[in-house]
Amino acid sequence: MVAILGIETSCDETAAAIVDDGHDIRSSVVSSQVDLHARFGGVVPEIASRAHAELVGGVVAEALVEAGADLTDLDAVAACHGPGLAGALLVGVSAAKALALTLDIPYVGVNHLEAHLHAAWLEDPSVELPLAVLIVSGGHTMVVIVEEDARYRLIGQTVDDAAGEAFDKVARFLGLGYPGGPAIDRLAREGDPTAIEFPRPMLHDGFDFSFSGLKTAVLHHVRRHPDVEVRDVAASFQEAVVDVLLAKLVGAADEAGARTLVIGGGVAANSRLRSRLVEAAEESGRPALLPRVALCTDNGAMIAATAWWRLRSDGPTPLGCGAFPSLRLPTTD
Amino acid sequence: MLVLAIETATPRVSVALGRNGAVLGDVSLDGGRRHAEQLVPAIKYLCDELDIDLDQLAAVAVGLGPGLFTGLRVGVTTARLMAQALRIPMIGVPTLDLIAYPLRHTSRTVVSVVDARRKEVFFACYQPVPGGVQRSSEYEVGTPDGLAGELEARGEDALLAGDGALLYAAQLGALDRVELAGPGAAPPSAAALVELATARYEREEFSLPADVHPLYLRRSDAEIEWDRKGR
Ligand SMILES: [Zn+2]
Repeated sequence: MVAILGIETSCDETAAAIVDDGHDIRSSVVSSQVDLHARFGGVVPEIASRAHAELVGGVVAEALVEAGADLTDLDAVAACHGPGLAGALLVGVSAAKALALTLDIPYVGVNHLEAHLHAAWLEDPSVELPLAVLIVSGGHTMVVIVEEDARYRLIGQTVDDAAGEAFDKVARFLGLGYPGGPAIDRLAREGDPTAIEFPRPMLHDGFDFSFSGLKTAVLHHVRRHPDVEVRDVAASFQEAVVDVLLAKLVGAADEAGARTLVIGGGVAANSRLRSRLVEAAEESGRPALLPRVALCTDNGAMIAATAWWRLRSDGPTPLGCGAFPSLRLPTTD
Repeated sequence: MLVLAIETATPRVSVALGRNGAVLGDVSLDGGRRHAEQLVPAIKYLCDELDIDLDQLAAVAVGLGPGLFTGLRVGVTTARLMAQALRIPMIGVPTLDLIAYPLRHTSRTVVSVVDARRKEVFFACYQPVPGGVQRSSEYEVGTPDGLAGELEARGEDALLAGDGALLYAAQLGALDRVELAGPGAAPPSAAALVELATARYEREEFSLPADVHPLYLRRSDAEIEWDRKGR
């Protein structure tokens, strides 16, 4: 049995988890900084980095307690080393390397995007490959095909804003506060998703995404129709985003012959996206795997699980390795 | 009593191991601003070469800044997690103190000045006392002009040290009764950290890892901007 501690500090969650053999989650602790950033309407890197530095030691200690484990039970320590906010990543990387040095066990630097892909295996180790995975968050929007032996093909990604960013910006404009995703999700439940016909950017145009134009369309519509019901705007905007996301995911799955549809990332917590994905999967004749929300949003378990695979294939990461703020997904083509 | 000293508040990464206050060895790397890459390998190198096992440590000492925010976080986080894993106490010492301490044999006021970027400096004033220096000002952040004004108001003979003093040498060195210490006195001294930390350890003035905090002295730009707009 191999027990790995995974640390995640790439954005605004300070998280740590202990996972056995890449799939058995013994503990997972997430300390969210949402409240610290709320008044600024977005994540402030310097505030995030300071908070990570204050929180990481306690979050690691809590993950150990929750797992009923001692530091000496660990076989390796992993941290997300990119992509993400430079100063934030360095806190997690420093914490993990300090533990690896002190405990004399391997350190593993993990790619955040690869970790989101691994959440599928954490949810269901028997999931059928290839997977078509939609990673969608405040920082990322991409469709990846996952094949045997952790081989990845990036099929499409956003050319401007990430979907989560569009949610935040629209929510801010509508006066719904931060973070925008949950606020719009909540309000949209009372609204009519067909009330306003917002554009579906690049719907039938390859597999890349664009959300900047949709965001602008929402702004214009509300300026022109000041009396519009905000809940209808929220529902119609959300519907347009979900339409595009699912069309690209299913289209990519068709093209690549993927067996399973998967979502990950913070926006994968969106209730409309989740229910519509189940429908889309039925229509397209393949199952959908929806990892529980705690595995979709940033967490330490996905870092620890990915580290187990990476340790077996690539061995430890040198202690002289730092962070890589614009790290890309390692793809095969 | 074995102590590991870590100082990363300036572009220099500095690590020392000391026994009973005497430095057994130290590693300093300049200029790269690659704290996160260099710190842990430097600690490992030092321990390997001195044949010291980390379990033998009695405490981890760390420079608290003020200085480079990212460097500070790397140093403080590394020190904290090591102390946490080893279940030993920590001793945090402000970086400005580590610049002043080696100059304790002067009779003048010692002023530590660290580059704070954005045309500002972090600084503090110290008076030599038997066995060390005693701080006689707050830890401050301000413009070199502000510091010059404060030095003129004090009207004392002063010795300025630190990378901030070197950066603004033309302006600060031109002041009456002020002399600049050379580049050798600029970096915060890991040897001073060993000495000061050992003395504090012996007086049982140590902290739990969770109680050791970096000394930022300046808020994030977003918060400053927020207040400036009066929201
Ligand atoms: Zn993420």
